Amino acid sequence: MRKIKMTFRIIVFLLIGGVLHYALPQHDVVRVVNTYQERQDLNDWTRIFWASPDDQSATLINRDVQFIQTVKKRTMLLGFIQRDATEVMVYRNEDTGWGWPFYFKFDTANLQTEADDLSSTAQDPQWAVMTHYGWRNEYFSAFPNAVAIRPIDNPNVTIIPWFNIFFFIALMAAILFIRAMWLQFRERSVDPLLDAAEHQFDEMQAEVSEQKGKISRWFGTWRAKDKR
Amino acid sequence: MGFIKLVIFGFIGLTVIYFSVSIYSRSVRKERLEDEFDAENPDGGDEGARDAFVAEGLKAYDASIRPKLIGLVYVVPTLAIGTIVYMINAN
Repeated sequence: MRKIKMTFRIIVFLLIGGVLHYALPQHDVVRVVNTYQERQDLNDWTRIFWASPDDQSATLINRDVQFIQTVKKRTMLLGFIQRDATEVMVYRNEDTGWGWPFYFKFDTANLQTEADDLSSTAQDPQWAVMTHYGWRNEYFSAFPNAVAIRPIDNPNVTIIPWFNIFFFIALMAAILFIRAMWLQFRERSVDPLLDAAEHQFDEMQAEVSEQKGKISRWFGTWRAKDKR
Repeated sequence: MGFIKLVIFGFIGLTVIYFSVSIYSRSVRKERLEDEFDAENPDGGDEGARDAFVAEGLKAYDASIRPKLIGLVYVVPTLAIGTIVYMINAN
């Protein structure tokens, strides 16, 4: 039972962690190489890795998607530790509109232009910080969605994830608040009901035993009186 | 259409939060009033006087600014979304 509970908890934790890791913004230090646009088929389950920029796009089987090709500094531990090695990374560049995940991004065309403007060669690199969400997966053709890009002078820049810090503080506060609300509800509403029910049950039991007493006394009148 | 969906479901969600917080806040106040009365009357006091004291306190609570501040439940997320929309799309 304990093992089942533990497994269940780990699965829930991993699911929530996965969703947060997918949806929360992350920052990469990149050098833009090129941008391109390609028609994408959207009629299988990998649809979940593409955005729905507007209502029409939800029903389309395929549409054009913009991409940003970059060379990216490798990182360790969720991006907290930077390494000198580089890898290639391709971002998609799509509007998220008013839907999930809630980035409210409508400036895809502008971002594509900014990325084009920042493109540079390996000999004369222009580094930039790319804000994005999502995962790159070669086998499912999943791409992280670029959200913003800003140029930097030095690729060894320290990035403070302000939004994520704020988000996790707010999440913690919300959890504690919901817990307090639940405890208050239980103390004020559920416990008195349970107490009342218990009390009623006790009374019922007492009544039953009293009735039994009455009946056995009545039977007693039929029994022979003390035999002297 | 996406915007309308967000507004409708956002409004439903925030309304649930609004009423939960309202009930919670009032309940905490009621409990505090009861404890206050019990502290002043260690012998238990009169049941009617206790109810009157609590009702009086809750009336004062309803008239105070606190329950109105819970309306911020609607305001803060709207401002947050507005800020995000601006920050993401501003050039």
